[in-house]
Amino acid sequence: MIEILTQLGAGLANCFTPATFAMLAAGIVVGLLVGVLPGLTLVMGVILVLPFTYKMDVTASVVLLTAMYISGTYGGAFTSILFRIPGEPIHVPLLWDGYAMARRGQPAKALGWTLVAALGGGLLSAVIMVLLTQPMATFALRFSSPEYFAIVLFGLASVIALGRGSLANALISLFLGLMIGTVGVDAIYGSHRYTFGMPLLADGIEFLVVMVGAYGVGEVLLRLERGFASKPIGKVENARTELPSMKEIGALKGTFLRSTILGNIIGIVPGAGATIASFVCYGIESQYGRRKKEMGSGVPEGIVAPQAAATASVGGALVPLLALGIPGSGATAVILGAFMLHGVQPGPQVLLSSGPMVYTIFASVFLGILLMCLLGFFAIRPLVKILDFPEAVVSAFVMILCFVGALSIRNNVTDLWLMIGFGGVGYAFEKLKFPIAPLVLGAILGPLAEESFMNSMISFSNDWTVFFTRPISALVMMLTAIALVLPAINQMRARRGARA
Amino acid sequence: MPSSPIPASLVPKRSLKLMDTNKLKKAGPYAVVLVVTAALYGLAGQIDYTPRHAQLGPDFWPKLCLALAALTCLYEIGRALLRKEDAAEVSGIAEALDHDQIEAEAPPKEYPALLAAGAGLTLAYAVLVSVLGFVLATFGYLVAFMYFGRYRNHLVIWIASLAGTFAFAAVFLKLVYVSLPRGEEPFAQVTQLVMNLLGVR
Repeated sequence: MIEILTQLGAGLANCFTPATFAMLAAGIVVGLLVGVLPGLTLVMGVILVLPFTYKMDVTASVVLLTAMYISGTYGGAFTSILFRIPGEPIHVPLLWDGYAMARRGQPAKALGWTLVAALGGGLLSAVIMVLLTQPMATFALRFSSPEYFAIVLFGLASVIALGRGSLANALISLFLGLMIGTVGVDAIYGSHRYTFGMPLLADGIEFLVVMVGAYGVGEVLLRLERGFASKPIGKVENARTELPSMKEIGALKGTFLRSTILGNIIGIVPGAGATIASFVCYGIESQYGRRKKEMGSGVPEGIVAPQAAATASVGGALVPLLALGIPGSGATAVILGAFMLHGVQPGPQVLLSSGPMVYTIFASVFLGILLMCLLGFFAIRPLVKILDFPEAVVSAFVMILCFVGALSIRNNVTDLWLMIGFGGVGYAFEKLKFPIAPLVLGAILGPLAEESFMNSMISFSNDWTVFFTRPISALVMMLTAIALVLPAINQMRARRGARA
Repeated sequence: MPSSPIPASLVPKRSLKLMDTNKLKKAGPYAVVLVVTAALYGLAGQIDYTPRHAQLGPDFWPKLCLALAALTCLYEIGRALLRKEDAAEVSGIAEALDHDQIEAEAPPKEYPALLAAGAGLTLAYAVLVSVLGFVLATFGYLVAFMYFGRYRNHLVIWIASLAGTFAFAAVFLKLVYVSLPRGEEPFAQVTQLVMNLLGVR
């Protein structure tokens, strides 16, 4: 423990070097702005900033992206509560109680509850992150290919099971994503797969191209089709934050703890992120909470549960990224991309080889949460004013950032074409109600899943039972099966309940 | 009471036809994905490799993914065509938890012409960026996109596009140094001029 604290202290000192602190502050501000703007999602924002990090050192770039990730889970709360405009899908649950509380004449109090939830959830999850990463990394050193395959499969299954929308559509989206991951030269045989004689495709399709296209271009095209008809915002002169008293906070300690721990766990599950954490924790609170019957009428539980869970999921998502090298969410996939651009492969060895860097990232999470809450408290009015920017202007710049992102990955126009193609796919998926997250995570985790599966088959003479006979992989495979069956059970229960 | 212009005997057939159209509409996207997976499965069979004894080939994984995707599509096509209109589908946990809370909102008005213009402009950018260079193509794209986005403050459009193009050029050509297309002659001269103005060699 003392060693951890010492390293964390050193990490904190590193955070105050001018370059790192500037990136931390920039990340918090940009993340809050991205959270406020409805046309720009958190993952999109993190992707668009990635090209700016090429010249930075790895620590500064990861600190920048992580800071954006943290504050992106908070910024959208302002507009959800004040104007009923969720800046992020994460903040849709805040429309039900946050906006209701604001409509009752207590917008400042609603914003206060959001701040306390983000602060409490974020800090507690950061503590869990620090305590959990080292043991998980040490434990992961024992993993062989069957365990890795089981964990990746669990991550892919959980993003389907925990998400929203049709399970079948999510499965199709996932399988197509896994197919994207097969493009290029096969690692074992050296065979060309789906390269169509194009040298660039022999290196595979970069997952960042898929992400930028499906999330960025697809979303902008969708909003253009709607004529950029954003709701006009009301007056922001009265926007301020009123913190709840300690007594009021104490009365909600159960909600705080439940949502933070659950949000953290959901963040740790590879594949599930802040949006899922926010919805699940709101749902849990409205089904099992002390004031479940009042949920939706403007009660603080309905604000605290989704916000604490969303911010807590960030700390959770960083654990599998740093300990296993497996991204826990879309945003951590981009952070993984930033690591790899600088030649650092996160995983069990990274704590041994790059301890100071990892602890600087940890410290930046603590510092970032504090900074984010300070900015949220004092700078809410200028932050919300960004909604006055014409959406057509903002979207035009977003598109150019998407183009630069695609062009800069491998300095090749083919990536630009691929990105536009995936933009079309993203648009079609949105229109046909196919979720994009499984497609993107399939493309990211697909190569890792295939590699660990094929290595397992080679090492264990094509004996597929190996995934079920080794204790850790058997346990994870069981969790995968539960995750896949759970939505069907849930629906059966709901049907029975409706009949009764 | 006025008599209906449609004979009563035709009503059931018409509603049946409408129902079938709905069913076909639902099955359509899955049929498209099924055709794509079938084509890709065929291509997976053509992957060139030397088989190794008792070892799965490089075609195994893509074939597995495609087969699973095809099975899911077939299931959904069957479900769309054979089951009742109001039959519920299995959805993710988050959907089930927040289902009661979602408020019905009127679908937003859509402008297909704007979408077509935006998509065309984006494709044009990809075609022209190598010819015009990053600077000119970006300036043109910014101006055109803002107009297509129904924004009409001309001063803001032209100034924001000009300033934005210079800002992008300064950041990505000077600070971050990303190798962006310079364009072909004579357009490359414009890129060179901007680079000279920014002090990039």
